[in-house]
Amino acid sequence: MMTYQFDWGPIWDARGLIAQGLLMTIAVSAVSLAISIVIGLVVGSGGASNSRAARTVSALFVETMRNVPLLIHMYVWYMAFAFLRLPAFTCAVLGLSLYSGAYVAEVVRAGIGAVRRGQMQAALATGLTRLQAMRLVVYPQALRIIAPSLASLFSQLIKDSSLASVIAVSELTYAAGAIEGQTFRTFEVYIAISILYLILVTAASQIVMLVPGARNEAASASFADA
Amino acid sequence: MPDVILQNLPFLLHGLWTTIDLSLWTILGGTLLGAALGTIRFVRAPVLGTLSMLFIEFIRGTPLLVVLLITYFALPALLGYRTTAYKAALLGFVLFIGAYLAEDFRSGLRSVRPSLIQAALATGLNRWQVLRLIVAPQAMRSVIPSVFNQYVRLLKFTSVASIIGVTELTGAALLVNARQFHPIAILTTIAITYLVLCYGLSLVGRALYAHFGVKT
Repeated sequence: MMTYQFDWGPIWDARGLIAQGLLMTIAVSAVSLAISIVIGLVVGSGGASNSRAARTVSALFVETMRNVPLLIHMYVWYMAFAFLRLPAFTCAVLGLSLYSGAYVAEVVRAGIGAVRRGQMQAALATGLTRLQAMRLVVYPQALRIIAPSLASLFSQLIKDSSLASVIAVSELTYAAGAIEGQTFRTFEVYIAISILYLILVTAASQIVMLVPGARNEAASASFADA
Repeated sequence: MPDVILQNLPFLLHGLWTTIDLSLWTILGGTLLGAALGTIRFVRAPVLGTLSMLFIEFIRGTPLLVVLLITYFALPALLGYRTTAYKAALLGFVLFIGAYLAEDFRSGLRSVRPSLIQAALATGLNRWQVLRLIVAPQAMRSVIPSVFNQYVRLLKFTSVASIIGVTELTGAALLVNARQFHPIAILTTIAITYLVLCYGLSLVGRALYAHFGVKT
């Protein structure tokens, strides 16, 4: 028996709060995204390098970071390192960046591995240094290959940012909880923010797929989604 | 082992058991749901196919926490039934992981070569028999890595159930921490526990793939 009376009015009235939450979600995600790309690039390049030590360190980092739940990552920064007195926003960003960074690293490593070896040798033969060869020849091709996987990782990251609500970062899910508490429009508020997440996630993955050539690779990409 | 862990060991172990119990039932339910939805999408069933796609896209675009809030608060309010945190978490996890598994199963089914399907049809098997006897067994073997990826992801995600009040490993640890406040010892211990569980599960996946896997 459906006895629930829909009433979207209170949700519309709380649009200011929802917009603030949405902006906070975008802020947490964008900062974490930037940091996780840096982490992923460094650790992933280490994982694809010729040095055994670099590969071991990279694998240890990746396995440790991604086999611990994101929620625990956040609590570690928020509670175990409470003596650092980091703001909740910083804790959320640190947890999210390290966790997602490990996933990005795996994708980057696979991407570098997928660029044919001859490319690197040819680049070195033209007189480029190793660093130049990576930057100018290998990375651009790898980026094209990994763009679909990155798109799915980034949308994962945006959704994962909802866990920041448990350490009192006032992002979208937190705002939803607050609005629910005030209005008791339980169903409406959670459906509304689900739709907002859906829009955000779709937009983010479309932006990543703007990488030139990414769409051609999408058909042939064979990396497992995280 | 730190004192705070030893003193609360039975309570924490009970939490660990709840995590494992929740994960196993979700793996069972989610795999069934995922296989059903993946097959429906693969055979392009008329109305069901579209409904499955909408469901999958909705779930995949929504954070797990929001899914749990929907199964714990929103759905019972909408449909007028009572639920417990455990049941709501289980339902949420099954729906969530089922949607992701559906896409993995579908891509597995699609990875079977069309010529094989045509050959099977030519031998006189009907479409259902071809799916059951030829396509599904091969697809199952090729999707082992991505399916176990999802299982590991799910195992980690069970920690989110603590937010709606399930006393699984994370929930138990947070309660102990609230009473005795030893965040470093407690969080390190459960982080290591998750690490061992997840790494172990991924090793099981790798072993299964090494044994049964087909390279596509």
